[in-house]
Amino acid sequence: MGASLETALSQPRAAVAGCGAISATGAGIGTLADALRDNRSALRAREAFAGKRYQTTVAGWVPEETIAQLAARDPEHADARAFLMADAALREAARNLPTVAAGRRALVLSTTKADILAMERVFHRQPCSRTAHRHILPRLLADDLAAAHQVRGPVQCVSAACISGLLALQQGASLIERGAADVVLVAGADIVSHFVLAGFTSLKSLDPEGCRPFDKSRTGLSLGEGAGAVALVRRDLLPSPVWTIAGWGSSNDANHLTGPSRDGSGLVLAINRALQRAAVNADGIDYLHAHGTGTLYNDNMESLALRAVFGENVPPCSSSKGIFGHTLGAAGVLETILCLLAAQANTLPGTPRLVECDPVAPQSMLLQPQPATRLRCMLKINSGFAGANAALVLRKEQA
Amino acid sequence: MSDIVIKAACWLGPQGFGNDQTGLRDWPTPLGEALRRGELEELRWSELFKSEAQRFARMDWLSRLGLMAVELLDVHFEAREAKDLEQTGVCVETAAGCLTSDAEFLRLPRPTVFSYTLPSTVIGEICIRHRFKGPMLCLISSGNSTRTAMDEAAAWLRDGSAKSCLCVSCEAVSPDAAALLPPDLALENTWQACALLLGRKSGDPRECALGNDTLTETCRHLCRATRRC
Repeated sequence: MGASLETALSQPRAAVAGCGAISATGAGIGTLADALRDNRSALRAREAFAGKRYQTTVAGWVPEETIAQLAARDPEHADARAFLMADAALREAARNLPTVAAGRRALVLSTTKADILAMERVFHRQPCSRTAHRHILPRLLADDLAAAHQVRGPVQCVSAACISGLLALQQGASLIERGAADVVLVAGADIVSHFVLAGFTSLKSLDPEGCRPFDKSRTGLSLGEGAGAVALVRRDLLPSPVWTIAGWGSSNDANHLTGPSRDGSGLVLAINRALQRAAVNADGIDYLHAHGTGTLYNDNMESLALRAVFGENVPPCSSSKGIFGHTLGAAGVLETILCLLAAQANTLPGTPRLVECDPVAPQSMLLQPQPATRLRCMLKINSGFAGANAALVLRKEQA
Repeated sequence: MSDIVIKAACWLGPQGFGNDQTGLRDWPTPLGEALRRGELEELRWSELFKSEAQRFARMDWLSRLGLMAVELLDVHFEAREAKDLEQTGVCVETAAGCLTSDAEFLRLPRPTVFSYTLPSTVIGEICIRHRFKGPMLCLISSGNSTRTAMDEAAAWLRDGSAKSCLCVSCEAVSPDAAALLPPDLALENTWQACALLLGRKSGDPRECALGNDTLTETCRHLCRATRRC
């Protein structure tokens, strides 16, 4: 199973040409890079959501001043929050793209709930612009983003719980490898709303104080909102060195709707598929960015899966949910961006809010950022509801 | 399209149900009348199948229809080896996704409903029932059926990511869900589901070449013309 090494190397790989982000750290990838360097958490409580019997309002909220600035720049979409965030991230990611015909530009959007705020407003019969109203349907959000970014090639919208972002990157790379596009704009966006807070509260999966991924005393996750964007370009259109999407894999646990498989076997399948497609051995991974939600079951499952793949030699790893929370459909994209920012700074990211590592977690779990001695190949993993698992291999390529 | 072929197809909607071997059949009355009115609660597992589907009653309609579609294919997945099931992928296409569960959760938030407020939950239900552990993808379409899910599944088969792939299209839009949409965006069909099983050519007489139709059109066409190849 999987592409042979010869086949993999002969195909035009997708390379990263730019990134953009809106997150709890603010607007732009610079704010993410700062948080990464300082190992700083941007989780906070939000008074506007207090008093609703939620487990907590501590989450990775995008600062209201950031949203206000985006809305001021684009009054037509002032109440279309998902569009505003994704559009801003895409504009930042697409700053230095090679010129290609609009028909060779594609867009892949990942989201779980699109403009859930608009849905809530319509349900409660509150004012809602026609634009925001359209974005209740995720595909129409993707179509409007494509129109705003001169995309006349393929448009896809992926919605597969917490692995949506990695699947969107996979789809983007696949479109380039299959020759369907030369440039693919990949965006992930999701919003924290009453609907989302009520849902995770009903499952009792939030940590009232804020998430502590892989911590011995972790009690749950923290939600987050934002948008991430990665511009993928055909490898030969970019100067070297570049980071490429070298491999990917997904799987289903076939076990439980809302809980991960206890032994991590589904995630093992996804990781092995990604490694095989990238034609890289487990010992070729220099850094691993975990899903690391902070729930008891996820972090246990992930630790077991990593041990199954890497044995006692799990590469240096960390989770960034403590920085901007679990951004759901945007998670895979934002966390991949974090990996790329770390590589740019020649740093291995830490795990903000992790104090005392659970004995079950890999011993290579990083509490604080560290200088990287070698960063040629990175692995990003996510898992989610409905037994979903995904893995993505990023590889730095010279000429 | 190379050696990727359709191994089985099925369709169910207000007008009837069936697969590529049986052809489309009408719903018995008065069930058919209720289903044409969109009263999906009348459609029970026992109407179509003899074996049990655990947890069926607690699922949302998107999952129920997706699960029924896969069962209607009449492929004996349970007889397949674990290794084959590990390499069976599932690619779902839907326009409205979980909008019906969203509307229900807005009305009355409950954990059992929240689990179904993701369009990909139908994939989880299908995989749990049949032990599929292959690649998965859930694509949100714009209302009209497309070829995208078939193209993605065919790509998995070609590059060796999977040995067989299910392409499933399903829609279930309740009146409460439809009320959330702008009036001009009302989705054409209130409910329907169809599925295709794709694999590599093996010479089985049931196999059929992939054409240029969309997923829904392909399924409906194959189920209308039972011996078409």
